[in-house]
Amino acid sequence: MDGRSTTLLDISGLSVEFRGGGRTARVLNDVAITLTTNETLGIVGESGCGKSMTALAILRLVPSPPGRISGGRIVFEGEDLLQASEQRLRDVRGHRIGMIFQEPMTSLNPVLTIGDQLSETLVKHLKLDARAARARAIELLKAVGIPAPERRVDEYPHQLSGGMRQRVMIAMAIGCEPRLLIADEPTTALDVTVQAQIFELLRELRARSGMGLILITHDMGVIAEMTDRVAVMYGGRVVEEASTADILSAPAHPYTRGLIACVPDLDAEEAPGADLLEIAGMVPSVWDLPKGCPFADRCAEAMPRCLAEMPPTTVLSAGHRVACWLQEGAAS
Amino acid sequence: MSAPLVSVRDLKVHFARPNLNPLKPRETVRAVDGVSFDVEKGTTLGIVGESGSGKTTVARGLLRLVPVTSGRIAIGGTDVTALGGEEMRRMRRRMQYVFQDPYSSLNPRVRAGAIVRSPLDVLGIGTPAEREARVAELFAAVGLRPESQGLFPHQFSGGQRQRINIARALAPAPDLLVCDEPVSALDVAIRAQILNLLQQLKRRLGITYVFISHDMAVVKHVADEVAVMYLGQIVERAPRTAFFARPLHPYSVALMSAVPTVRGGRERANRRIRLTGDPPSPIDPPPGCRFAARCPAAEPACRQTMPELRELVPGQWVRCHRVEVVGEVIRRPLG
Repeated sequence: MDGRSTTLLDISGLSVEFRGGGRTARVLNDVAITLTTNETLGIVGESGCGKSMTALAILRLVPSPPGRISGGRIVFEGEDLLQASEQRLRDVRGHRIGMIFQEPMTSLNPVLTIGDQLSETLVKHLKLDARAARARAIELLKAVGIPAPERRVDEYPHQLSGGMRQRVMIAMAIGCEPRLLIADEPTTALDVTVQAQIFELLRELRARSGMGLILITHDMGVIAEMTDRVAVMYGGRVVEEASTADILSAPAHPYTRGLIACVPDLDAEEAPGADLLEIAGMVPSVWDLPKGCPFADRCAEAMPRCLAEMPPTTVLSAGHRVACWLQEGAAS
Repeated sequence: MSAPLVSVRDLKVHFARPNLNPLKPRETVRAVDGVSFDVEKGTTLGIVGESGSGKTTVARGLLRLVPVTSGRIAIGGTDVTALGGEEMRRMRRRMQYVFQDPYSSLNPRVRAGAIVRSPLDVLGIGTPAEREARVAELFAAVGLRPESQGLFPHQFSGGQRQRINIARALAPAPDLLVCDEPVSALDVAIRAQILNLLQQLKRRLGITYVFISHDMAVVKHVADEVAVMYLGQIVERAPRTAFFARPLHPYSVALMSAVPTVRGGRERANRRIRLTGDPPSPIDPPPGCRFAARCPAAEPACRQTMPELRELVPGQWVRCHRVEVVGEVIRRPLG
């Protein structure tokens, strides 16, 4: 990172609980994440590990009830969002922090034109009048690579392809030039050639505006291509965090190693028919998290201690931390 | 070499669109438009392509789950396009389908054991006692606990549901298994479990697969032979090693370069071949090469005439005007 980067987001001790049937589930547990301007942080993990919940918590959009942020701090540009009023949050959401959701099909309102939906945030946050907002909407559609934006602005979501809808979602998210953009699996529903276009667009935007980007994904190839740093989540915790180069070349947590090895890689020179490395079993239910390390029951290297006690965070080198008993004592 | 298990020649599956304007001619969706391939027994053909390329329609056409417009599909030497109801039903013992979505492809009100048994019931295979034994055997083969036969689909995870799907498809001991994106709906760590299971079954039972996927890396992992589809046609077909070492069609090259890889990282993204726009509509496609509008190497001639699928290297077939063989050297326009 260059010298101009400043801290944009500083999350510490973030915990989120859900209640139901007289029980409490900890869906996020003591999550700590930091992000500077100009930086892209990747969050990886399987479904149900807390990736999307972390994104929702940053925007204070945890569905409540049954959910509740039970502790921690989310400091964005020097302000703790957990202490902010609802009115203040409305000014932050969609303005200072943009969000791209996973499903471009269901995240747009089918009865409003693309232009109406784009203008809404521009009128609200930037206090533009209707005409200026429409002009800006066309500009944004052009910026995200939608052909014939003057025509598309008056069309409805069903008239656009999936890739174009996702581009509209990105146009909405960047409309007010946010300082932080959170993209939750922004390309999962799209074809790879369209995914490549979306990523290129996000890279350009970041370079131009210096915004911070949080990219949630399950694809290690995407991590390698797009991010500077990575947080690996499992069972509602960040189990490893490091620079992207360190995560990919020297992953310390068995779960991280599994995530990298269990997916076929186009570059790999494997024999035909060779078996992939498997991560046995599946993600534990948040209602039924074990006492010790949440990954212990799937971990090939688990020791008795792993089942009994949650491992502490070990700092392996500057910026590389891991929560695993195997790494205890390996600190630099 | 023995006769291939599957032999498809000039398969076309066209759908007529509902006519909204009586003054206009009826539109035709050319979902599959002249596809030919063979699959040798005990091997896997991977069909890769983006959404709308027609790969799923090929799979469904193979099993006659959609009406075939024209062409010939031979399974073990029998032309299935010509078979009548009862003969076709008997033929279905030999070919089964694994669906993409493990959630919607299982009846939520039927217990797992009965789901797996259903093809045996429908096709009238074995006595009731034999069917019970077969179901128990299948549960073991796909790695499901025997006592889970009594459970309903919602009591299983996504990966386990896909195992039920596979067990059901294996029940009549088919020669051919058509898998349509069998791991796309699963979580990353679960995908490896299902891919490994399919590979084990191939080794153990000698099953022949037609494996449909949008994921190049998955196809590279499972396939012996690869076919790339674009807008209803095969644009390249080749043995796995040759294809991944040197894809010839500009679309194959671009599709491969679009996949992010762990080792490639940012470097790979910088070298990427950029395709603009989305694939065009399969309704009344343009006369020339269907990829011409997005192809970085297209010339005016490409928009005029449709290239033929040519065998440029033994086993490697390409549908492109711009790939040339000069002496011993192959010149590809991209890559």
